[in-house]
Amino acid sequence: MLTARCIVGDLHRGGRTLGLLSGRQQAGLLRPPSLPHLGCGRQMASVGSPVKLRTRMGVTALVGAGLFACWWWVDSEKQQELQRKRVSQLKRVALGQGDFSLVDHQGQRRTKEDFLGGWVLLYFGFTHCPDICPDELDKLSAVVAALDRDASLPPVQPLFITVDPERDDVPALARYVKDFHPRLIGLTGTSEEVKRAGRDYRVYASAGPKDEDGDYIVDHSILIYLISPDGLFLDYYNRMKNQDQITQSVRNHLQNYAKL
Amino acid sequence: MAAPNSAERKACWDARDELWKCLDQNQDRASACQQLQSQFEGRCPAQWVKYFTKRRDFLKYKERMETDGFSPAEGPRQPS
Repeated sequence: MLTARCIVGDLHRGGRTLGLLSGRQQAGLLRPPSLPHLGCGRQMASVGSPVKLRTRMGVTALVGAGLFACWWWVDSEKQQELQRKRVSQLKRVALGQGDFSLVDHQGQRRTKEDFLGGWVLLYFGFTHCPDICPDELDKLSAVVAALDRDASLPPVQPLFITVDPERDDVPALARYVKDFHPRLIGLTGTSEEVKRAGRDYRVYASAGPKDEDGDYIVDHSILIYLISPDGLFLDYYNRMKNQDQITQSVRNHLQNYAKL
Repeated sequence: MAAPNSAERKACWDARDELWKCLDQNQDRASACQQLQSQFEGRCPAQWVKYFTKRRDFLKYKERMETDGFSPAEGPRQPS
């Protein structure tokens, strides 16, 4: 609506200006001597009153600036509209569409809905993981702690979802998460529930062969996901990203996020 | 079997780092680092020992690729 009105206003004003100019030119052509100050060109300006010319130039500049401002406003509205459309299209295909339902390390049932409206940093792993998971969880904890120190930022919830529900039950997770950020929540469930949560974020996980003690290593995707308040995937961080790079990136997302 | 806690993890990683340092200094002669090898095996779960041993091989291989570049295996010689 506003856009349309502005364009109409534009045309209207533009049209009037053109009409005025051509009228003056005609008058000048027909009766040059009687209207010296209304003519065009430098000669006339030097002969006629400089105040009038200045006024005309001022009016022209004002009208020009008005037209430009209007064009700029219409254009930025259009760009924003395009941006909004693009974002909503991307949201429909974004990762994390599903609605996981898992049990946390205190035995409480948690669904994705519980985390909607807040920011989440999510990592998939397993407690028997030799080096990568603890490294990444340390990094994730440090990032959350760094963001916590900035009071102007909304809180970020760290989440750990196991890819090894067979061994990672509630007590195992409770033992594990206390080594990391105090707000870290560990999530587990039946193998079906865990698989579904992983599928929502396209996580790959495959348990290796068991040795004589029944011990095994689970090969899995090792990405840290940033989940926006609408529960969808927004960004990810791999092993190459250090703590400071991740903190900076998450901070940018928190500051620039626009709720649709 | 419970997963190692953070102190046990650290003990295992430290044993691993000591062993790797010894192997690096002794041109990978396992006989020179017997004691550290058994310490490493004592402090890490068997699966982790296997995993870290493979990981060292991989890291060495990666290092070789980065410094020496790739040298293709010799194929059958073509009689000319």
